[in-house]
Amino acid sequence: MRTRTPVPFKNRLISLVVAGLLPVCANAGKDDNTLVVAFEKPLTTVDRLYSIQREGLILSRLTDDGLFYVNPDSLEFEPLAAESYEWVDETTLDVTVRDDVRFHDGSKLTADDVVYTFEWVLDDESDTSRGPVIQSWLESVEKTGPRTVRFNLHLPYPMALRDMAISIPVRKEGTYEGADGMDNAAEDRPLNGIGPYRIKEFSAGREIVIERFEGYYHTSPKANPAIETMVFRVIPDQGTQQAELLSGGIDMMMGVPPDVADNISHLPGVERKEGNDIRIGYITLDAAGYSDPDSPFTNLKVRQAINHAINREEITRYLVRGSAEVVPYACHPRQFGCNADGPVYPYNPEKAKQLLKEAGFPNGFSFKLWAYREKIIAEAVVSDLKAIGLDVDLRFVKLNVFAKVRNDKDMEAFFASYGSGGTADASASTGVHFAAGSARNYTDDEELAETVLAAERTIDPLERKRLYREALNRIAEQAYWVPMFSYSQNYLLSPGLEFPVPKDGVPRFWQASWSDQ
Amino acid sequence: MFNYILRRGLMALLVALTVSFGTFALFHFATDPAQTIAGEDAPQEMVDDIREQYGFDRPVSVQYGDWLGSALQGDFGQSYFWKQPVVELIKEHAKVTIVLALSALGVTILIALPLGISAALKPNSWVDRFALSTAVSAQAIPNFWLGLMLIILFSVTFPIFPVSGDATWKHYVLPALVLGASSVPAVMRLTRTGLLDVLSSDYIRTARAKGFVGYRLILQQAMRNALLPIVSVLAVQLGHKLGGSVVTESVFSMNGLGRLAVESIFNSDIPTVQSLILIFVLTFVLLTLAADLINAWLDPRIRMG
Repeated sequence: MRTRTPVPFKNRLISLVVAGLLPVCANAGKDDNTLVVAFEKPLTTVDRLYSIQREGLILSRLTDDGLFYVNPDSLEFEPLAAESYEWVDETTLDVTVRDDVRFHDGSKLTADDVVYTFEWVLDDESDTSRGPVIQSWLESVEKTGPRTVRFNLHLPYPMALRDMAISIPVRKEGTYEGADGMDNAAEDRPLNGIGPYRIKEFSAGREIVIERFEGYYHTSPKANPAIETMVFRVIPDQGTQQAELLSGGIDMMMGVPPDVADNISHLPGVERKEGNDIRIGYITLDAAGYSDPDSPFTNLKVRQAINHAINREEITRYLVRGSAEVVPYACHPRQFGCNADGPVYPYNPEKAKQLLKEAGFPNGFSFKLWAYREKIIAEAVVSDLKAIGLDVDLRFVKLNVFAKVRNDKDMEAFFASYGSGGTADASASTGVHFAAGSARNYTDDEELAETVLAAERTIDPLERKRLYREALNRIAEQAYWVPMFSYSQNYLLSPGLEFPVPKDGVPRFWQASWSDQ
Repeated sequence: MFNYILRRGLMALLVALTVSFGTFALFHFATDPAQTIAGEDAPQEMVDDIREQYGFDRPVSVQYGDWLGSALQGDFGQSYFWKQPVVELIKEHAKVTIVLALSALGVTILIALPLGISAALKPNSWVDRFALSTAVSAQAIPNFWLGLMLIILFSVTFPIFPVSGDATWKHYVLPALVLGASSVPAVMRLTRTGLLDVLSSDYIRTARAKGFVGYRLILQQAMRNALLPIVSVLAVQLGHKLGGSVVTESVFSMNGLGRLAVESIFNSDIPTVQSLILIFVLTFVLLTLAADLINAWLDPRIRMG
């Protein structure tokens, strides 16, 4: 099965034709210390409190700092605008704020600003995008000293630092005064963050220009970024992005399909970098029988047969490629808690057929497999399943249609992926998919849901690991999922651009620089 | 004439309402707007909160009634995705599409009319064959392919025009060529056929006898009648360009209505999609009406009934 990842015809075309017509390339911004990056999707607001987009996360890591941040090397959550923190007990967190942090307007960060930010998020009227998540664990926040703040939690919640790190940038007291509900994000106010860059221009759907903030606190791990100005241009078409890269209009493309990267990267004027991503691909089987109480997938042997029937090694090696690897359990191997030792299901079509026979389906059965991305992989899965006698009807649809049918619990089986918001913790994947009430949970396994919930409410790391091991082993024993593979990320860069490849797939552009060569 | 306009106007409204309700219902039955707005990786709490906040948990008929009631009062609502009033969003994007559509129409006229006239004046000659080959090629070439070829040639190999964007007039040159080229075959062939018909008519023979020759004969006598069907086609083509520049706008990263429509559909941004559909339908109907009125103005026989 030496098939390659399909790339839209137009993207192949531009790669091939350009190879023959290549001009002398120039960097977009090396001379004036500017970095121009292409965004595939438009950003609707630069305020992270009102954005759930991946592009918003990338930008906010430049313009905003939270109390904590994700260490790019260890992927652990460490203090940033916070100087230190201490868990007083399982539901009380004390944080001391740094005294050298300044907002982009020059004013000093205070404990009052931190209290204001979190009270705003807790306010139902604020309609922030992460409000419901924060409200689920945070009861109140109070100022306990000139630089100290206390967070009172409803319940023990080990991911509090994660939520503070990736979702809640600190805002100046009074920022949203006079704003109302959903209009908050659209208010025409300059973003006053505390990050190493500040917004210079924002044109929704077109581009965002940011410039280095010279007043940024030098004690920060993000201090002294090398690039002076960064421009994020919205270019939805990947073929156009390639042309821009080759003509010197942009300096960097992200999320490049492997085939395009192969075709373009050998050209002069383009460098390729490859990195990991926390995203994993998987197949969910309707073990609970939501779509049909008599569904064959309610039978454990059938689910085990499906697991044995799919050649994940070859799919990963030839279709996903790069640094992708086979994932044996329902989490990314780099995530905290992803430490199961339950059963794995090596590729064995004969065993799969035997299991189907034992389950009472010697001649197979028919079902629909739903998918919304990587059609070639879904087709490879269908091919493997047909080889053991199953009649599979692939329903490849757009994401919004897919989400509707999945949330209605009307799918017998679906191939999907999950990025965990770039979080290296099993709570962001296992927890989301197997919690009670989750639209993604097709198991109806109350014991499993309780284990997952217990893990989410346990502060002790060792106990959390034990609980996740128990949950992941249960998922593997019951073959609720077919865990498939982790993803790989391809970046195409202008020569001379130094850019450390992120371990979680979320670029940190403050680390980028132009080399002197 | 007034009754005619009224009838056409009511028809336009009916078509717009039918399409609008169909789209609204399809969106709700086939997609989950709350999940789309929240994002694929969003936790369940966020999705549920959005469902409640936007009122997606109410019956579809109630939601449509609410939208229609507001729309009739001129309030097209707030975009779920862009978090802006839809009217402002459309105003902002319409400029790009209007400039692009008019430029493309200009390209069509500049290429198709001279080609059509030349082909009609020398039928079955090499000029005619060249014109027909050009028309067939323009029809056969997909927009995205032509767009990418032009980008490679004029932006990458010979960097004369920018690859993408819509900030300056230079950004419009290549997209206008691409969008304009797609209408050349229809307009060129119509010009050729219309002019051939007119040139063989009695009044042209009379005009020739009176001493009309060359461009005076073609422009003053023949083209006036040959233009009638061309005006109708150009009006329809303008409608196509205003509502159908999706691919061109995407390839050249132009922030027009076409790209807005695509992004709104993928993001289940129902208020924006609804408003855009209303605009596209009304634009088509109004342009067809305008073509009829121009025809009536050009041709006294139509005007007199």
